Amino acid sequence: MEISLSFISDWLAASIRSAAPLMLVSVGGVYVERTGIFNIGMEGMMLAGALAAIAGSFFTGSTFVATICAMAAGGVLGIAHAYLTVSRRANQIISGLAINILALGATNMLFARLFPAVKTRCRLYPVLAPEGLHDIPFLGPVIFSQSVIIWIAFILPLAAAWVMYRTTWGLNIRAVGDHPHAVATAGLSVFRLKYVGVILSGLCSGLGGSALVLSELGYFAPNITAGRGFIVLAALVVGKWNPIWAAVACLFFGGADALQLRVQAFGAVIPYQFLVMLPYLLTIAALAGFVGRTVGPKTVGQPYDPERL
Amino acid sequence: MNRNETNSLWLPGLGAIVLSGARPLFAIALALLASAGMIWASGVNPFTAYAALAQGAFGNIASLANTCVRATPLLLGGIGVAVGLKAGLLNVGVEGQIYAGGAAATAVGIIALPVSPWLHLVLAVLAGFLGGGLWATIPAYLRAYRGISEIVVTLMMNYIGLYFISWLVEFPGILAEEGAVFPQSPLVLKSAQLPILIRGTSLHTGLILGVGLAVFFFLLLRFSPFGFRTRMVGGNPEAAQYAGISVKRQILIVILVAGGMGGLAGTGEVLGLKLRLFDAFSGGVGYEAIAVALLANGNPLGVIFSALFFGALKAGANKMQIVTGIEASMAIVVLALAVLFVIAIGFGERKLGAIRKAKERNQTEREAQAYGD
Amino acid sequence: MHQTGETVLRMTGITKQFPGILANDNVSLELRAGEVLGLLGENGAGKTTIMNILYGLHKPDKGEIYVSGRKVEITSPRQAVDLGIGMVHQQFMLVDQLTALENAILGMPTARPPLIDLESVRVRFEKLAKEYQILIDPSTPVWQLPVGDKQWLEILKQLFRDAKILILDEPTAVLAPSQAQQLFKKIRQLTEEGGSVIFISHKLDEVLEITDRITVLRDGHAIGTIMTEDATPSNLAQMMVGRPVYSDRKQRPPLETKQEMLVIEDLCCNDDRGIPALKNLNLTVYAGEIVGVAGVSGNGQKELAENIAGLRQKVKGTIRINDKPVTGVIRDTSLLGYIPEDKHKTGLVANFSVEENMILKIFDTHPFTRWGLLQGDAVRRTAGALIEEYDIKTPDSTIPVRHLSGGNQQKVVIAREINGKPVLLVASQPTRGLDLGAVESVHDILLRERSRGTAVLFISAELQEVMTLSDRIIVMFEGEIMGELDAENANVNLIGGMMLGHREEHKDRARI
Repeated sequence: MEISLSFISDWLAASIRSAAPLMLVSVGGVYVERTGIFNIGMEGMMLAGALAAIAGSFFTGSTFVATICAMAAGGVLGIAHAYLTVSRRANQIISGLAINILALGATNMLFARLFPAVKTRCRLYPVLAPEGLHDIPFLGPVIFSQSVIIWIAFILPLAAAWVMYRTTWGLNIRAVGDHPHAVATAGLSVFRLKYVGVILSGLCSGLGGSALVLSELGYFAPNITAGRGFIVLAALVVGKWNPIWAAVACLFFGGADALQLRVQAFGAVIPYQFLVMLPYLLTIAALAGFVGRTVGPKTVGQPYDPERL
Repeated sequence: MNRNETNSLWLPGLGAIVLSGARPLFAIALALLASAGMIWASGVNPFTAYAALAQGAFGNIASLANTCVRATPLLLGGIGVAVGLKAGLLNVGVEGQIYAGGAAATAVGIIALPVSPWLHLVLAVLAGFLGGGLWATIPAYLRAYRGISEIVVTLMMNYIGLYFISWLVEFPGILAEEGAVFPQSPLVLKSAQLPILIRGTSLHTGLILGVGLAVFFFLLLRFSPFGFRTRMVGGNPEAAQYAGISVKRQILIVILVAGGMGGLAGTGEVLGLKLRLFDAFSGGVGYEAIAVALLANGNPLGVIFSALFFGALKAGANKMQIVTGIEASMAIVVLALAVLFVIAIGFGERKLGAIRKAKERNQTEREAQAYGD
Repeated sequence: MHQTGETVLRMTGITKQFPGILANDNVSLELRAGEVLGLLGENGAGKTTIMNILYGLHKPDKGEIYVSGRKVEITSPRQAVDLGIGMVHQQFMLVDQLTALENAILGMPTARPPLIDLESVRVRFEKLAKEYQILIDPSTPVWQLPVGDKQWLEILKQLFRDAKILILDEPTAVLAPSQAQQLFKKIRQLTEEGGSVIFISHKLDEVLEITDRITVLRDGHAIGTIMTEDATPSNLAQMMVGRPVYSDRKQRPPLETKQEMLVIEDLCCNDDRGIPALKNLNLTVYAGEIVGVAGVSGNGQKELAENIAGLRQKVKGTIRINDKPVTGVIRDTSLLGYIPEDKHKTGLVANFSVEENMILKIFDTHPFTRWGLLQGDAVRRTAGALIEEYDIKTPDSTIPVRHLSGGNQQKVVIAREINGKPVLLVASQPTRGLDLGAVESVHDILLRERSRGTAVLFISAELQEVMTLSDRIIVMFEGEIMGELDAENANVNLIGGMMLGHREEHKDRARI
């Protein structure tokens, strides 16, 4: 396996493509956990978004419509999770798990029905490769040959961070996961904040799903997300619930993923499976405290009861 | 964590199932209703679809056997989750434990050990249990001694397990079969295979093992000091500590046991059904086992029925697809909807309980705690 | 006190029903400009509920609210704030991760929405803080603030919102007496400027000191309103509980021999945050006596009790119960009975039945476990006997303990702890949240144990019951014992001073 400059630029470009869906999902993940709701169902929301995106692009030929469909699919599941966890105060893990199972079964069903021939070739996200720029050695393939959704994947975390730390709404979001009753007595609606957080995570997960199938992979197959939604949970921890750091963590995970594919292709001595395991191992290490102290929003996972002060 | 209403000593065994059965049964009914709606929207008569489903699940001996075979890993894994729930823990790592247990059982099963066939089988099964338990050690330790949520860690271990098995059966080494077309292990030796219960079917003794363990754990939880400790930790870990119980040790043991049960689920699949270790042979059964345990409200005996129900759904779904064209994945959709309905209803029940409780209290004394004053 | 003006607030006929409890029954009250209205009543009387209604957290079933003569419907805290009503709750409503300034502006409109404009609010914050002598750095994260400062911040938050009607719910619970005096000064400052204060408390002496008028609530009813200058402790107490209150010391046989049961030497330990909670504490409790531990909550009492029970690791020092050193959690119920501060959090398993809770510590001993199995009938028999002995009101022993009332739940804990006939009994805030009848029961039980020869360590934040129940009183302040007194002739002022940190030079101190 030769480690040349072109290998590195190729690997970086692939890392970014692999990380982009995760980064999109992570933005929603940061917001939802900051509001105190654990959304383990982002995997299912991402999967639903992926199928919706493929279907949207396949049947209308428009990536814009596909994106809307994807976000809608994620959003609908997000509303379900929000209703169960906020209004009904159900156990958040169970709700998320059930949504994942539901999404798996439903997407399998719909995929078989919509695409009996299995082929899903459709219009993908357009690549932003301006003349002149994309020929630059190293920077060209890495930065100036990426699709538009990847640019969004980089801009969104920045926008999310600005909103979170510079606006009153962002302040409220930061407060409600830590001490919902304080927010309530300040005259704000805890329910509304949590609902928006969960639905936002659904929208972002759907968006991430569309990035996955219409940019990184280019096709859909049953269970195409293969646990990416769970990796994002890891990124939230490693990124300490900050939109930018969580996105950076996603970049690292994308890098590991791109690396293992290349290792496979080169038939190296290290079995590729161990490289694939890397993000998961890293997460456990992060949680076990090897990557600094991780203190999340205080009430994540706890149902909010307005009557019990 | 889900506070189980039936933690008390006094409820007779059946009563516990009945009391905890009402809510899930209602949820299942709702789920079936919702699915019927989806079936009807696809232009198929729901009755035809469900009739085909029932046929495929119970129609003849072969169907029944099919149902039970599919139920077995759900039962074994579900018991582990149920035991964990009693201790206030949610073992989401069943999938990984299935892989680990399956691998360990295979490792013992493909070697010609100089022992009697029965012993070989026992050793293989034991290896499977230990394999699953081993897979749960890291999450168990992190949860028990560092207080790190077992949920995310076991989730990660699932994927590590998946890829670990993938490596085991692909690269020449201990478990990969030489010259095989697909990555797989060599065949498990006859002496280590789980005996078939009904000739001509694939129904293996794993089911008996599952039912037996379900009963065992139910009795253990209700009648043994270990069970009392477990339920105490699940009910109120601070009070348990105050009562002198080593909460950390209890959590560790329970997660290890739950992991072992997950390992047995994988063992059953490998030693009884597939007779080989395949790449990604679980296919999500681990997560389904969690849903099964939740539907049973964490009661080991209830898991038997819950697992059979879902086994029936899966067995019948294929027939339903053949007859009506409704995809077999509908079965998974029904299961997921059932769980979602269970937790949606759950809140209503808790509120009723709170009202009843407050009324009783008012008869004896005014209580300030719950409502400020 | 001083001139009060026209009515700024009137609540008439407020009724609020919660599932199973009538929290407010046709309650009316009136608040005038520039006055401090005391809202007095026992735990459970309905004080917080009616104030929560005023603040928009609950909706009343019946009744009307008039602010400055105008009828209003307050359906959310936002509306209450707009009407100039502010409330400081019993628990802190502060977000630890955010700074003091961010907490102050939470929920408030900003100059340039949606952006937070920290600079202009900082100026206003500092101005207000200086005016009321509240010295808090606005950029400090709240989790770093000491408890007293958090309380000041809560009040500052309300002033920030131009609250003209300020509700204070048990504001001195976390304050030392000197800090309480500071609070009263600020309250007077506020009322001199035309604001009005509703002061909720169950502490008679404070209410008598700061208020102009007092409205007494009992069991959800408004019993009456009197001018503070006409009020006396006994007529107020009578209104609060409905019968004459005696604060006499209970009769007790004198202490016979001096047998050391609990010996603590040089005890040092840290609290949950790692800060020293106990500093070289020395204490001896003899058999057959009640040693009362007085002091404001949070001065190490909890850590002391936990150390004795073996639930907390000590940094230095020794603890011996009946000459046996304490090394780990004590399960031996013949040695120690420990009634924890918070029965819900630590003392009981809510889902377990009454009988299961009674054998919580002894379930794996004979006769409750034989041949590895729990013996249900043995459990039931024991539970039945205890229910009778302690007069615990429950239909039977098999219902979940959370269905019992607070007083009866406490009795379950006590019954369990005393059943083993321990030589040492540590009771930590055993009467908190109980009504008068239950309090009396607990006192009687403690005295009975004393007669039996048990050494009793009785920790309570209610100075009154410490004085009536104890033989000796020690006062804790910031992890040290400030002094020890004979309860018979105890001087309240002396104890009060010790609670604030004034050390008592006692010739017998070496013995402690």
